[in-house]
Amino acid sequence: MFALCDCNNFYASAERLFRPELNGKPVVVLSNNDGCVIARSEEAKACGIKMGDPEFLVRDLIKKFSIHVFSSNYVLYGDMSERVMHNLSRWFPRLDVYSIDEAFGWLGGIGNLDTYVPMVRNSVVQNTGIPVSIGVAPTKTLAKLANKLSKKCGGVMVLDTDEKISAAVKDFPVSDLWGVGRQYYKKFQELGITTAGELREMPEMWFKQHLTVMGQRMWNELWGRPAIPLDAVRENTKGITVSRSFRNYIEQPDILAEAVTLYASRLAEKLRREQLRCLYLQVFLYTNKNREDHPQHFPSYTHKLLLASNNTTDLVSIAVKVAQRLFKDGVKYRKAGVIATGLVPESELQLNVFAAHDSGKKDKVSAVLDKLNLAYGRGTLRMATEGFEKKWRLKHEYLSKGYTTRWPDIIKVI
Amino acid sequence: MIRTFEKRAEQKISGFQSPAADYLEGRLDITEKIVIDPHATFYFQMQGNTMAGYGICDGDILVIDRSLKPIEGAFVIAFVAGFFNCRLLLKDKQGFFLKNDSDIVRETEMEVLQIWGVVSSVCRNVLPKALRTGRYKDVCTL
Repeated sequence: MFALCDCNNFYASAERLFRPELNGKPVVVLSNNDGCVIARSEEAKACGIKMGDPEFLVRDLIKKFSIHVFSSNYVLYGDMSERVMHNLSRWFPRLDVYSIDEAFGWLGGIGNLDTYVPMVRNSVVQNTGIPVSIGVAPTKTLAKLANKLSKKCGGVMVLDTDEKISAAVKDFPVSDLWGVGRQYYKKFQELGITTAGELREMPEMWFKQHLTVMGQRMWNELWGRPAIPLDAVRENTKGITVSRSFRNYIEQPDILAEAVTLYASRLAEKLRREQLRCLYLQVFLYTNKNREDHPQHFPSYTHKLLLASNNTTDLVSIAVKVAQRLFKDGVKYRKAGVIATGLVPESELQLNVFAAHDSGKKDKVSAVLDKLNLAYGRGTLRMATEGFEKKWRLKHEYLSKGYTTRWPDIIKVI
Repeated sequence: MIRTFEKRAEQKISGFQSPAADYLEGRLDITEKIVIDPHATFYFQMQGNTMAGYGICDGDILVIDRSLKPIEGAFVIAFVAGFFNCRLLLKDKQGFFLKNDSDIVRETEMEVLQIWGVVSSVCRNVLPKALRTGRYKDVCTL
């Protein structure tokens, strides 16, 4: 049996844990740069706020219903997620973390799920303060479905018999099924299929012909035959991206260099943490495509490194050079990013006959950088081109504190 | 708590191998005695002296373990009237109530008794002012 555990309105719940006065009140969390709504409490959903709504469009609703707004505080969410996952992992022989707020657990060898699963849920909710829902079923697709249904009945749903599964899929909308995107949904609509129950009544051959092997898997999964193993979804990292919008438009190459330095430094850090090196470094710039009165420019360039690298010095100097070459005068840039592709494990460095390699030295510098920043906090030691003012830094007006990660931010009690 | 790794720098021996090498144990770490379940532990700080009579003073760092069940006699963090409070949880014939040096709040006076967590220990800097300098300024305080 598989269990899908996920946190209800995770970001909003994490914010509310430290602001209990907001329990029962509408809360939304905005994306980076306070752009769009990325999480809503149940009350905010009832106010008519949709996922992905741009902040400026729902400003009136926010005012009207006095909805509480938060900027995304990933430091807090990251720590709370780790707590939830650790607590979950105590209860499952195997747990695969699927995203920041979701995990698949394997319940092999555990009997009496009807008492066990509620126990898991209670313990995790008590220890972390984050409400979670758990759906249990013989396949991942059904577990996902059970999880959706569980939110309306106390946070636990166990589908361990054929009768229970049939009852659950009967009225379940196909659009909410795991793995159904726009393409599949269109196909189902053409045939007049609206529920998962109707869908699984279709013959297997139809799935195979129209929806490839993925569809066939879905069919098997809906009938309770596991076709997606526990870790099948995880793929090797193909590329790592660091990109962010700026607070204001950037119109000077020096300022752009500052931003790109920071992104490339973060990218190098990420690569080192994953013990990977990259062969290609792509840099891209965006203008605001919604402003038709602005000159538009979406340049991108991929640089091939002579030697796969993950040290900050190399990546920053390349990224800055490329960014400055892409930059055009008189254009207002809104966003920039760096992408590392052609990833190779650190242990498999291939040398180049034509390149001199002193990167051993730079790698050592980067290692020192990582060590110092780990001990004294991120950004303690950084490249000077990052600048000091950082006017382009993200906007987060409604940022909450690092309640669980920074000493000065811990909660004061009276 | 399980000791996950030994926090000891590797010694590069240039002369004789230490006779203690086979007998090394991880050095004591105070968090083992303070944090029992790190994934359920949070830290709050006491502000003011309303709990001084119970030995919790202004500036003390409170260790909160959410996995514990709040029972009679426990110091708890409760959310009352819009504020986080540290209080002693007590019970009599009329039910649960929260107590500090100066006042008592009954469960019936609140809509719901919102207990956030149980205080498992208190950390305090006991240095005299003259010694609270440099690295020692923030011992068990902020």
